[in-house]
Amino acid sequence: MSSTRKKLTFGLTSILAASLVLGACGNNKAADNSAASGNGDKGETVELSWYTIGTPQKDVDKVMEEVSKYTKEKIGATVKMTMIDWGDYNQKMQVLTASGASMDIMFTASWAFDYVQNARKGAFAPIDELLDQYGKGIKETLDPAFLEGSKVDGKNYGVPANKELPAQEVWRFNKNILEENNLSFEGVRTLESLEPLLKTVKENNPDVIPFQVDKNFMPYVPYDYLIEKFPLAVKLDDTEYKVVNVFETPEMKQALATMNKYYKAGYVPTEAATLESSSDVQATGLWFADKATTQPFADNVWSTSYGYPIISTPQSDALVYNLSVMGSMQAISANSKHKEKAMEFLNLLNTDPVLRNMVDSGIEGTHYKKVDDTHMENLPESKNYDMPTFSLGNVMLTYLNPGDPDNKWEEFKSYNDAGQPAILLGFNFDPSKVSTEIAAVQNAKEAFWAPLMTGTVDPEAYVPKAIEKLQAAGLDKIMAEAQSQLDAWKAANNK
Amino acid sequence: MASLAKSRDFHRLSPVWNVTFNLIAGLFSLACVFPFLFVMILSFTDEKTLARNGYSLFPEKWSLAAYEYIFKAGDQLLRSYGVTIFVTVVGTVLSLIFISLFAYAISRKSFKYRTYFAFFAFFTMLFNGGLVPTYIVTTKLLGLQNSIWALILPLTVNAFYIMIMRTFFSTMIPDAIIESGKIDGAGEFGIFFRLVIPLALPGLATIALFSTLGYWNDWFNALLYIEDPSIVPLQSMLMRIENSMQFILQNTNNPSLGMGVLQSMPQDTSRMAMVVLATGPIVLAYPFFQRYFIQGLTVGAVKE
Amino acid sequence: MKALGRHLKDINRNKAMLLMVLPASLWFICFSYLPMLGTIISFKEYRFSGSFLSSIINSKWVGFDNFKFLFRTDDAYIITRNTILYNAVFIFIGLVLAVAMAIVLSEIANKRLAKWYQTGMFMPYFLSWVIVGYFVYSFLSYDRGMINKIAIALGADPTQWYSEPKYWPLIIVLVFLWKSLGYNSVIYLAAIMGIDKSLYEAAMIDGANKWQQIRNITLPMLTPLMTILTLLAIGRIFYADFGLFYQVTRDSGTLYSVTNVIDTYVYRGLKTTGEIGMSTAAGLYQSFVGFVLVITSNYIVRRFNKDNALF
Repeated sequence: MSSTRKKLTFGLTSILAASLVLGACGNNKAADNSAASGNGDKGETVELSWYTIGTPQKDVDKVMEEVSKYTKEKIGATVKMTMIDWGDYNQKMQVLTASGASMDIMFTASWAFDYVQNARKGAFAPIDELLDQYGKGIKETLDPAFLEGSKVDGKNYGVPANKELPAQEVWRFNKNILEENNLSFEGVRTLESLEPLLKTVKENNPDVIPFQVDKNFMPYVPYDYLIEKFPLAVKLDDTEYKVVNVFETPEMKQALATMNKYYKAGYVPTEAATLESSSDVQATGLWFADKATTQPFADNVWSTSYGYPIISTPQSDALVYNLSVMGSMQAISANSKHKEKAMEFLNLLNTDPVLRNMVDSGIEGTHYKKVDDTHMENLPESKNYDMPTFSLGNVMLTYLNPGDPDNKWEEFKSYNDAGQPAILLGFNFDPSKVSTEIAAVQNAKEAFWAPLMTGTVDPEAYVPKAIEKLQAAGLDKIMAEAQSQLDAWKAANNK
Repeated sequence: MASLAKSRDFHRLSPVWNVTFNLIAGLFSLACVFPFLFVMILSFTDEKTLARNGYSLFPEKWSLAAYEYIFKAGDQLLRSYGVTIFVTVVGTVLSLIFISLFAYAISRKSFKYRTYFAFFAFFTMLFNGGLVPTYIVTTKLLGLQNSIWALILPLTVNAFYIMIMRTFFSTMIPDAIIESGKIDGAGEFGIFFRLVIPLALPGLATIALFSTLGYWNDWFNALLYIEDPSIVPLQSMLMRIENSMQFILQNTNNPSLGMGVLQSMPQDTSRMAMVVLATGPIVLAYPFFQRYFIQGLTVGAVKE
Repeated sequence: MKALGRHLKDINRNKAMLLMVLPASLWFICFSYLPMLGTIISFKEYRFSGSFLSSIINSKWVGFDNFKFLFRTDDAYIITRNTILYNAVFIFIGLVLAVAMAIVLSEIANKRLAKWYQTGMFMPYFLSWVIVGYFVYSFLSYDRGMINKIAIALGADPTQWYSEPKYWPLIIVLVFLWKSLGYNSVIYLAAIMGIDKSLYEAAMIDGANKWQQIRNITLPMLTPLMTILTLLAIGRIFYADFGLFYQVTRDSGTLYSVTNVIDTYVYRGLKTTGEIGMSTAAGLYQSFVGFVLVITSNYIVRRFNKDNALF
């Protein structure tokens, strides 16, 4: 019997040993890899590790080989790109950063791996000096508002992509239904002015939702929010820079009352407050009006994307908010061992059309072909290298598609130039002293935010209750902290 | 009372109760299966009619678009199935070994340190260090980054299963068996493999089932540790598609994000299709485990 | 010296057992205990600086500050109450129904039918909460939901389900039971299958009817398992299933008073700031309370029957 036991013991131990060995093997491989890339340091060529967002494409490595050949020549660096899918990006980047993984360049934005939050936490390296020394090209091409607006506590931590700058809210209309009812949006600018049109559509088109709204909707008010979807804001034309609770302002009160009126009249979907997105409705085309943020040629893009004509009219001025400049940025990791080279690469990427288009569209002749100097056409292979253009850098260097107007980038430039800075541009609130209160206020506000904004509940009854709850959760403390930070920033920047 | 005459199955219920029980179990079972069928039908529905008419058992228009989208977006579907099957089988076997050995040991009153080890295991059910520390141990200490073992090892042991197994061992294995084994001169391991395991099969089957399901459904470990597309398991691949869809949906108001990205996605229907693809195989494999809990194995154990 | 000698003797005597627990113990050390050291983040204001270790070392110590947000407002009472009450109901009713269903399944004469029923009951386990959420929506949607359609057909007014808190405790419990009953009953079913048949034979000979058999044999034999599972569930009484309370409720603000639990509160509260220290602190808090409760319950159980206790 003891021989059985011996056999079993042996068997057990070997399984255990096997697991450990396999683990160790993995370890060795990892060690080998790091040794290999370590060699890159000693030699002339540096390998830059670049993390970007988007569904991983098949030909990424192939294209990066070509890119590396080009960059090796120009700046003595090769590039390895790792793509992380949209839904995974936040989680994965958080874990990679927290574990101190070696990365050089990473994509960040206000909506992906929160730029401001992570800059404050120390994930990114400050790049002001790097920009001056190695990023002169970037500074020249970018509208200064980009760099101004993305300063966190006085320093820049990411290179914004040069693209559309100001944010402008518009009313969009389903053109077919508009024309069917002989309506015109002339004179329509405020929320209230929509009423006659909504009324007509409600009467004549019973299947159509007159005003498509979902839980993300916020009626436009002339205020700049301190934190997205948070009740603290500053009025756009306020020279005093006073922080207010948006629910106490006359503009918001009126807007909410109007929304409630619309809800009761049946213009707004009944379950708007819990509707996560309007894309289902947009797919069917059974809506008349909604609110959106525009950019040059947006109407065309929307119409092509939905498959039916959309037409829009502005409801606000084109202003440059903090969010507008943080839509797409490349940051250099605080852990990066090649910060200078990384900046050199970013400089090249944002100024050299050859590199930029290679990164964007792939290898000429394989993935795309040039139709003329400024236009290109996708080849069938392009499906293996379909990149999200806006996330990779200066979009105005990219070649135009056959359908694009020749003056596309000029239009963008003039659109950008016409934008006025919003009042809080460049001010990023630091929540670390009041994080407890913010957590409490968040929960309090989520309870009634969507129902109020979509008009589902009566503001007369709800708003006072809401204000009370917010106070109880500590909104005042946050407001005081925000005001003192804002005053300090104002003084430091001579506003 | 007439049942006593024919005692072929002494468990015979009176017919009234039998029917009642059948009804209860049957109706509940139907309520559970129905949504699943619904999911299947939805996965074959055309996305536009779904948006227009809501969920319906009899869609206006059928379409394979959802499946096409998935096969296109995850054209390594077959490979992912393979990876998942490998991970599940190896993982479950490993789990069974680790778990049953540990559970058996702590179920034996003769083991001096059983209470300590029981606590040692149980404590881990309540306290855990969080995502990042686990990630660091797995990648830095054990070097499992991008290894298929990163899909297997993190799930191998589960204190909950250990506790269940321990209870099975202590209730199903009469001490007499173990005594008789000792008298025959068997060592601990010998007793375990030859005498105890056959008696504990229902318990082992349960743990094997749960373990299999755990491995099969896991997508999170691959998200964290796997870059290499050739070892991405099924659920992970599907989850990636789903999460990305969700993410883009939530950011439709973001002008930068580009509207072209969204329009090509059949959203709800492909979610449903993913459920079908992911759970179909396991549903088919389920009867294999089931043998052990329904029929039970009448093992002539203690024939005094 | 003698004590050491005695210890070594003990180890030698138990060496087979020790060998058996070795693999899993090593696993626990690697995958559970080592990472557990990371909970220290709960007491720090976590900032990145180099590797994980140096980040921890360099981050500022803040004592219990990270825990404050869990207690600050009225919400603290609401979320705690909701979490505990729901879990208590889930544990109790879940146990009763799972055991009942297991007995029902084991008693059905036609074994093939029983197999089919059981397979069916298992299905909900495979659906994620997101999908379950869609289903519930297809029943409860105001415009298109099945229930409202039936109500209108019967002449009643449709209800705005997602805005009325009073129905939700029931809805949540029903949905939870629907999803977990099949899975939970499997454990008990397997246990029933392991009960020595001769016990039933003897009982029958003694003239016991079905119900008496169940009461006197089946249930007592299942008691250890029921106790253990309940104790384990008590350990997790401060944790709520996030998917159930977030996806199925569609994150509807008006329902928060009955659907906000600790896990959803933490998620919502930390979306803006992303303070890792605070989320780790919340987890530690949940673990700790659960731990105290289990130790207490375990102690109580030990007083009754030493064997049924967890340890």
